[in-house]
This record gives sequence, structure tokens and C-alpha cells, in this order.
Amino acid sequence: MSVFWLRAAAALYFCGLLYALIYLFRKSTRLFTPALIAFAVGTVLHLVSLVELRAETGHLPLNNFYETSSICAFLIAFLFLLAYSYYHISIFGVCLFPVVFFMTLIGATEFPVSSWSSPEVRNAWLTVHITSVLIGYAALILSAVASVYYLLQERQLKRKHLSPSSNPLPPLATLDRVITHSMNTGFVFITIATVTGVIWAFIETGTHWILDPKIGFFLFTWAFYLAMIFLRISAGWRGRRIAWLAVSVLSCSIITWATHAGLRSLWQR
Amino acid sequence: MKLALAGINHRTAPVDVREKVAFRAEHVPAALLHMQARGAKEALILSTCNRVEVTAALADDMPTDMLVEAILSGRDGLTLEGVRPYVYFFEQTEAIRHLFRVASSLDSMIVGEPQILGQLKQAYAQARDQGAIGGILDTVLTRAFSVAKRIRSETEIGESAVSVGYAAVELAREIFGSLNRKRVLIIGAGKMSEAAARHLLRAGATDILITNRTQQRADDLSQLLQGEVIPYDSFADRLSEIDIVIASSSAPGYVLVSDTVHRAIEARRNQPMFLIDIAVPRNIEPDVNKVEHAFLYDIDDLQRIADRNLQAREEMAEQAESIVDDEVTRLQARLRQRDIAPTIVSLQAQLEAVRAEVLERYRPHLGTLTSDQEEALEALTRTIINKIAHGPISEIRRHAASQKRGENIHEGELISAVRRMFRLRDS
Repeated sequence: MSVFWLRAAAALYFCGLLYALIYLFRKSTRLFTPALIAFAVGTVLHLVSLVELRAETGHLPLNNFYETSSICAFLIAFLFLLAYSYYHISIFGVCLFPVVFFMTLIGATEFPVSSWSSPEVRNAWLTVHITSVLIGYAALILSAVASVYYLLQERQLKRKHLSPSSNPLPPLATLDRVITHSMNTGFVFITIATVTGVIWAFIETGTHWILDPKIGFFLFTWAFYLAMIFLRISAGWRGRRIAWLAVSVLSCSIITWATHAGLRSLWQR
Repeated sequence: MKLALAGINHRTAPVDVREKVAFRAEHVPAALLHMQARGAKEALILSTCNRVEVTAALADDMPTDMLVEAILSGRDGLTLEGVRPYVYFFEQTEAIRHLFRVASSLDSMIVGEPQILGQLKQAYAQARDQGAIGGILDTVLTRAFSVAKRIRSETEIGESAVSVGYAAVELAREIFGSLNRKRVLIIGAGKMSEAAARHLLRAGATDILITNRTQQRADDLSQLLQGEVIPYDSFADRLSEIDIVIASSSAPGYVLVSDTVHRAIEARRNQPMFLIDIAVPRNIEPDVNKVEHAFLYDIDDLQRIADRNLQAREEMAEQAESIVDDEVTRLQARLRQRDIAPTIVSLQAQLEAVRAEVLERYRPHLGTLTSDQEEALEALTRTIINKIAHGPISEIRRHAASQKRGENIHEGELISAVRRMFRLRDS
């Protein structure tokens, strides 16, 4: 029964993730209250699941990575709610909602489910996963290129080498908008790819998926990306700092891609 | 008839001469009338702060000095001897070329500046209202306007910023893209900052904040620009809302240092800030340019950009000159065609008149003729006059077409020889 509550909690946390993704595109906090309520209910269900698990096993559920991840997610959620009740800072939600969701999702994969309902569903799932990864990468490359242009344009302006009439580069503000939009779009798709990828690996390989380094690296890349997005929207990072981050995230993505070489075998059956 | 032009400009005459010679708009009609009374068929007066030029269609034997006299007539303190050393004269092709260059702003102090074309159009309208524009000037000036248009569209001569204020606007665009809803702070309410602010307003900036040590002047300027006055002691508190700073106060030291700017940029979450320091001595600490996301330009930086653009314009001007050459040649060809046409027409008319007269006189002696014979007689006489006319006409045409650039448009000699030989009356 505990795993049911845990999955229900993950589903509610998912509302928080959706809020975070929507926030990237419309900077309104109108949806924050419903997302927060869903998140709080999720936290309560999460607690229920932990208590049940404790009752089933007779000790604190700290046996393996799944359980520690789940507990850690619960603690983050709890502390966030606590902090929010004191300080009312909603911007942390943009970063913490996705983190809590993913850690809970990982926790929820401790118990394997029966395999795919049909090979078509499996292949469709894989298609969604790969397509979103590629869209995400494309957007990320665009934002990295725009960041480099931003650096060049900024440098020309700083060094006063610019002659505005013959300068081929677009204005800083335009580049900044391109970076924001492509980065946010990329993040949405990489997030979709991560969710579908984790679930796919979980269904496919049962509980062993967590040991796969390429999935670990994928999760790391996603977390790095999340950090970059968060720094940009909360601290207004731009220019040199965001350019370096974009290039680093892009490098991580390339490594992740390389670790996924040999996908052909997955399509069999 | 010849096209003649006389004038002074910023290159040939110092400003104290130019300002004496310059026409007030209301004096132009009288001067045009004066020239018409003295025998000019067509006339145009262009008077701007950098040039005064008179163009006229004159009879071939009229001296061009007459143009200078026209400029000077009825004005105190100006003598022909005093002004003459500064005056340039152009005739015919060279006058056309000069008008083309003036219209295209190739002869301007700031090459490529756009006002001169409007001024020339105004002068044209004024002369036309006065009835002083006829066939030649009309053709030349209309052509000059389209040459200017062609040069503007085919070269990039008018594209770059060559004034300091405009260079500031262009730089702001490099940072912010559109200046819509950008907020400008003016530190020091002087003439310079007013001019720069006007440039930015015209480019789309909306909010103007003004601060000045003496409140009164800040109030005055805020009325002119519809801005908001903020206290001088605490303007730094509002720096974080500002996108563009224009500093031109007469304060002896720095009124803005990098710490303040750094804090403001942090407060505006790293949104870029553009600072323009047009004060001497400078108002903003030069190290501000090292603050991330702050871009500081002082008066010399802006001047350098303006100069660089000016240089690029002058290179562009060479391209424009070849367009002018091309257009002058074309117009010449057209004018020459127009020039020889009346002679050819009246030559043909003259011979036809002779034929008709002779035929009428001798026809009765021939008695009745069949219609075939009538036709043969027509053809016979017509062929004779056509054969006679063929030589001179093709010679005139050949002569007109083969003329090289720089020769007179109204080449005169051959045409007048033909006219004399065939006793053609003036048409």
C-alpha cells in the first residue's frame, strides 16, 4: 500500500513541476497557490507512505538508494513548506518542485511493475523520449550559440570597437530574449525526456536501472540545467556567467548523448 | 542658352562671409525677380547655412558675373570685389554635375546629411511659384532629385551616425534593441544633455528623469522634455530603474562611481545600463565601464564613432560620384536630343514649304494628269527634298551623339551653320 501513496504523492508533486515549467514562460504567480496546495497534499501522502513503510518493515526505510531518495525528497518538501510559511518566497518553488518530484519518482521505482502493455506503447514511449531529448538539445545549442554572440557583442561594446552601422550582431536585448526562450524551451523538453526516460528504464530493467551510468549522467545533466535556469530567473544571471553555464550544460549533454550510443538494440522486439 | 551657376559654400567662404551673403527666405522672390528683369530666362536661389547658390538659364552672351550681382543687389555692406574671391562658377555640364552632387549631399559639410535635398526642393518650389522655372531647370532639377534618391538607395551613404547625439542613440540600440519604454536619467540640465535626450526621445525612449544641483533649471528642462525631476542628493537611490544615464553636469568631480553603479545593476538583476558622459571634466568614474553589464561612453568615445562613420561615408561617396557621372552623361544625351529636335523639325518644314510652293506654281502647266501621274509627281518632289535634308540631318544627329562629356550641351556651331544655310527662322 505504501507504494500507492508514494505514487500518488509523485503525481501531486508533478503539478509542482508543471507550475515551474509554466512559470518559465509566463512570469505570473497566479498558478502558484493551486500548485502549492497540490504540493502540500503530496507531502502529506508522502508522509503517509513513509509511515506505512515503517510499519511494514519495522524500521526506518533507509535500506537503499530508492528509500533514501524518497525520504530526502520528503524532507526537502517539508522544509520548503516550512520556509514558505515563514518567508513567503515562492521563487524557490521553481527550483524545488522539480527536484522533489524527481527524487520521489526515483523513490517510487523501488518496486518493479509488470512490463509494457504492448510493444507499440513501448516504441511510442521511446519515440517521445528521444524526440524530446533532441528538441531539447537543439534548443540548448541555440541558447549556447546566442550566449556566445552575447559575449562577443558585449565585448565589442565594452572595448568601444563597435561601429553601429556595420555591426552584424543583433542588440544585446534581442540576444538575451533568444537565450531566455531557447533555454526555457530546451528545459521543458529535457524535463519531459528525463521523466519518460526514467520511467522507461524503470519498466524495462526493473530496479537495476539506477545502476546504469548513462541514466545517472542524464539526471546530472538535467539537475545542472535546472540550476542554470534557476540562477537565470531568480538572480538574473546573464552575459558571461550564463554563457559559461550554457556551454557547460551543452558539454554535459554531449557526453550524455555519447553514452547513449548504440540505441539501435533498444528498438528490437 | 546656357546653364550657369555661381555660389559660395562652407569650403570657399568663411562663416562671416556666408552669413552676410545668406538670403532670408522672404528676400528670395525679390532677387529672383531682379534676375528675370536682367534677362535670365530661368533662375533658382538656394540658400542654406552652408551655401548660397544661384543657378540660371542665360542667353549665351550674358556674363556669369551677372549672377553674383544678382546675389548682391540691394544688400548693404557687400561689394562684388569683396565677395568675388569666394565665388565658384560652373557652366553647362559642370553646373549639372554640381547640382546633382549638392542634391545627393556629396558636397555637404557632413557628407550624406539628409537635409540638403529638402532645402533644394524648397528652393525649387519657391522659384516655380515665382515663374522662374522653365524647361532646362525643370529637367535638371527633377533629375537631380531622382539622382539623390538613387544614390540614397544604391549606396549606404546616409546610414550611419555622424553626430555625437546620434552615435549615442545607435549605441543604445546596440544594447537595448528598441528604445521603447526605456528610462533615461539626465544628470545636469544643460544644452548638451537636452540635445542628447531629444535624440533618445525621438528614438522611442519614454520616461525622462532629470536631476540638477539647482532645482530651477531641472524644472525648466523637465517642462521642455516632459520629464520628472528627482532630488540631486538622492538620485543614486533610483539608479536601478534607469536604463540610460546622460551626465553633463558641471560638477568638478565624479558624481557617479563604480560602486554605486555596481549596486544599481545588482538591484536591477543584471539588466544592462548605458551611461553617456558628455561632461568635461568627466562626471562618471571611468572604471564604471569595468562593472559587468554597465557600458560607459564618454564624449571622446562617441566622437570617435561619429568620425569613423564619417570616414566610411566618404568612402561611400566615391561610389556615389560614379553614379553622378553616369547620370550627367545620360541627362546630357537627353538635353542634346531636345536641343537638335527643333532644328530638324524646322528644316523639314522649310523644305516641305518650298516643295508645296513650287508644286503649286508649276502644277497648272502640266494639264490634266491621271491619278498615277499625280502620285508620281508627289513622290518625285518629296524624294528630292528628303534626299537634300538627309545630309544635314544625319550630320546633326551624328554630331550630337558623338559629343564627349564636358563639351557644351548647346553645341551651337553646326546647328547655327545649318540654320543659316537653309534660312531657318527661330522657332
